[in-house]
Amino acid sequence: METNRRDLLKLAGGAAVGIVFTPVPWRLITDAALWSENWPGTPQPAHGPLTARYTNCSLCPAGCAVRARCISNRPIGMAGVAGHPLSQGALCALGLAGHQAPYHPDRLKPASASAAPVAQAIAKGGVAVLDLRPGRTASWTYRRAMAAVKGLYVTAPQPLPFAYNLSAARTVLSIGAPLIDGWGTPGNVLRARAGFHLIQADSVESRSASLADTWLRINPGSEPALALGLAQILLQRKPKAVPAGMAEAAAQMTPARTADATALSEKEILDLADALFQNGPSVVVAGEAAPEAAALNALLGGWGQAVVARQEAPVPESWKTAAPATELASVPDGSIHTLLIDESAPGDYIPWGVIAKKLARGSSSVIVFSWSGTGYARHANLALPTAVFPEALDDLPAPADSPAAAFRLSAPLVEPPAGVVNPVEVIAKAAGIDASAALRERADAIHKTARGNLFRYADGVSTPVKDLKPEDFWNALNEGGCWIDTAQAGAPPLPKWVPSASAAGGADLAVTIVERRFAGAPGSPLMSKVYKESNLQLGPNRAALNPATAAGLGLADGARAALTTAAGSCEIEVILDPAVSPGALEVAAGPEVLDICGAFARAKVVRA
Amino acid sequence: MISENKGNKKARYGMSIDVDRCTGCGGCMVACASENNVAPANPGANDRKGLTWIRVFKVDNGQEYPNKRSVFVPMMCQQCGEETPCYLACPQQAVDVDPSTGIVGQMPERCLGCRYCMAACPYHARYFNWWDPVWPAGMEKTMNPDVAPRMRGVVEKCNFCHGRWHAARQKAAASGNRVLDPADYVPACVEACPTGAIRFGDLSDASTEVARNSKTPDSFRMLEKLGTEPKIYYMSKRQWVKEIAEAPKLTPQKEPARG
Amino acid sequence: MTFRGTLLFAGGVLASLGLGWIAFPHAIYTSRQQPVEFSHKIHTGSAGMQCEDCHALREDGSYVGIPPLEQCAGCHTEPTGQTAAEKNFIEKYVTPNREPPWLVNARQPENVWFSHTPHVRLAKLTCARCHGDQGTLDKPRVYQEDRISGYSRDIWGKPVANVKGPTQTGMKMDDCIECHRAAGLEHSCLDCHK
Repeated sequence: METNRRDLLKLAGGAAVGIVFTPVPWRLITDAALWSENWPGTPQPAHGPLTARYTNCSLCPAGCAVRARCISNRPIGMAGVAGHPLSQGALCALGLAGHQAPYHPDRLKPASASAAPVAQAIAKGGVAVLDLRPGRTASWTYRRAMAAVKGLYVTAPQPLPFAYNLSAARTVLSIGAPLIDGWGTPGNVLRARAGFHLIQADSVESRSASLADTWLRINPGSEPALALGLAQILLQRKPKAVPAGMAEAAAQMTPARTADATALSEKEILDLADALFQNGPSVVVAGEAAPEAAALNALLGGWGQAVVARQEAPVPESWKTAAPATELASVPDGSIHTLLIDESAPGDYIPWGVIAKKLARGSSSVIVFSWSGTGYARHANLALPTAVFPEALDDLPAPADSPAAAFRLSAPLVEPPAGVVNPVEVIAKAAGIDASAALRERADAIHKTARGNLFRYADGVSTPVKDLKPEDFWNALNEGGCWIDTAQAGAPPLPKWVPSASAAGGADLAVTIVERRFAGAPGSPLMSKVYKESNLQLGPNRAALNPATAAGLGLADGARAALTTAAGSCEIEVILDPAVSPGALEVAAGPEVLDICGAFARAKVVRA
Repeated sequence: MISENKGNKKARYGMSIDVDRCTGCGGCMVACASENNVAPANPGANDRKGLTWIRVFKVDNGQEYPNKRSVFVPMMCQQCGEETPCYLACPQQAVDVDPSTGIVGQMPERCLGCRYCMAACPYHARYFNWWDPVWPAGMEKTMNPDVAPRMRGVVEKCNFCHGRWHAARQKAAASGNRVLDPADYVPACVEACPTGAIRFGDLSDASTEVARNSKTPDSFRMLEKLGTEPKIYYMSKRQWVKEIAEAPKLTPQKEPARG
Repeated sequence: MTFRGTLLFAGGVLASLGLGWIAFPHAIYTSRQQPVEFSHKIHTGSAGMQCEDCHALREDGSYVGIPPLEQCAGCHTEPTGQTAAEKNFIEKYVTPNREPPWLVNARQPENVWFSHTPHVRLAKLTCARCHGDQGTLDKPRVYQEDRISGYSRDIWGKPVANVKGPTQTGMKMDDCIECHRAAGLEHSCLDCHK
């Protein structure tokens, strides 16, 4: 008998029927389901003992205190430190996931790039260091290095010479400042908030405007005019010493003219002056765009109480021969041959055009130290990758809302990847100075004054410095601690009067750009929750327009458009939002947009 | 063999959210994602397809300037105590309501991905994994071992940081206690809130702050008329804010209903 | 159908039944040897140690699991006995300071939140209640792994066709549920899942 195809089919049919009466198919189904739970690529969290470690967040200059929950010494979650005298236990969204910053996809990959060109450039001369977060110990090292090689130490606009004590204020006028949106130390501002009346003059309904007691909607770009108009009224009521040039400028700004510029009524302006005058101590907080508004403080009752001289933590005597700080604005155009930019500790982003103007034509080179590929690295001849929080050791200057000097370290929680460079080390070494123990020397100099208290994060105890040994002081700073001076700060010197440059642009540029801090700046990739996976904040290259303005420009919600200013052009997606004033364009201040617009640039928006 | 139920106190966990104190900073959203191993946005994600167990909405009173007022309202699973809509809709028994804590639990491993629960949820508090979760290289080292990562094709949502409940219960057991210390069980959003707007605790214990808050005249719940007995109590002193609980007016740019 | 056809069909059925009930229950698992021939019997017997000496609870209630190499090295930098297994362990792992790749029979899936603390401190369960007679074995049990799901035989999968593993333990989900139900502690999935 021969086996044929039919026989095989019968056998297979029988097998198929039989298998159903065995455990095989049922077990395979459940096993396959279990296998699918561990789909390749699904990561498995590491397990291990849980510990708490403490440091200070250095992602922004506020430097809030951080308690990191760690598994096997690696941080897996961040929280604030309760009772902290500056940050008051609070962290912002960026800081709450700060431990994930090293894994941002935009991070500069540690490569084989060598720091040798830095030494060559410094040897050649004509070098300048641009420090975006002045006031650090690293800043002092740069100044000492530049003094040694006759280079230039350049900073972003220097912080104002005064600090705010918001808990002593009863009325706060914020002229376009993001007061409740990341200004100063968020925890400190929020804590003081219950004690003052907040008036927010803003051209968009920013978060600070929504949360203010009074929101005054002003024309975009009219912040300086409002400040001058108020100065004019206050000076008439009670003449006072003011920064040179301010009185003359203010005299021009009658209430009628101010009303015209700001779109407020004359009565609103007079009422505002009354509120500041009568319900003191009052302070004025100004956005980046209106430094002259800050000078208004000299006319108010808060001067010397709620606005005091800004203090810096003591430094060793031997450092004081360092090079002076030069503001970028006062560097002659076309004078820098080699520019070293330390973007490892970012501050406010300066539009690239402003920096480029200072470079010598033709032969200049730019070396950027940064951990992010989205900032100045885009414009550099050489970008050297650095460590990022929480990998790097750095210190943080006292924020604008700390009336006393402070010193705290951002001590690393994890090892930086191989191949990153430390900008301070590289520049100090090339300049031939030894700054390897600069932070320790500074801590010792502070300790020597025997002033102030050390707040320890692990137990929340404050100890007078004079009761501590230098070694213990240093160790405590490294394990999570903050030194705060007890010396009383007096009235600040009168600030310099710097009128804002009027925004460039012609009549064809119909809208004024209002910048909003961009949540997507490299930090944790999880920041996508607030701007991409929800509409809580504006995402990169998205811009909000008033529906009426948009209709006039022929733009619908979600339209792609080209944003053009005198400095350049970029593509944006338009969203309509009645919270934005007519004529204003609110953009998230990512580097791409910032490069083409300074403060309150005029722009036009054309449908793409 | 253990025999009887040894003094396991029943809790009814809930929150009170003071809308007047919310600054809309988004800290809770980021802290929640970090705590619960929610992956960063897929390149294709948007406000409809993202994963945000807690989401802060901006809501206004519908007026024009100068009468326009806005508030920020954090929304998460409202932990409905009665007729829990998602529980009733789930064909897979992947949703349950824990009688000992009142927490509505979601079991991603049982979930079939039909999304009936999302349609049933009156609060849009449930989220679907449209893509495989992907962590950038190295970021898996920051994951929380107390929460299991989910997979593509399942629904997930807030469970009051259940991993922290487990950890608190373990800590209590280490010292021989069955009742956990309220200080040990605090969800990530509550811990993260810089203004203390979100409070958490046992609503069945009259001495807790949430229980007191839930009884103040300022307190209200979202869509209370549905009778689902949500356990998230919102608070505001402003009448128009209380009215959003029945008919929210979202600013035009924001948040169309998610599908 | 012809007689021959019926016979063939029945043969197919029988072949499947045999395969499914006799071969499959064995074939679904793969057996692997532990890296070290560790004897619990010697440690708990002549060495006089308790389970908790190595498998301790930390202060926060978390469980250390299999002790790290450094703890073993505390006693075993030099051989303390005569066995080949110990000599092998020291040469291969202690001297090069390499953690042995233990195959953990009790390893639960990632979505399980199991804590020893409530079971030991509150419910007063003995180790053997779930782990079986591990503590008295002279040789580690052969680790049997489900070829598809990748989990140990001890923690998942009912015995198929009465083919039992080397020892019956109580670490499967059904075992957990049974005990929780009897104790009135069965509330929701998230009691044990995460």
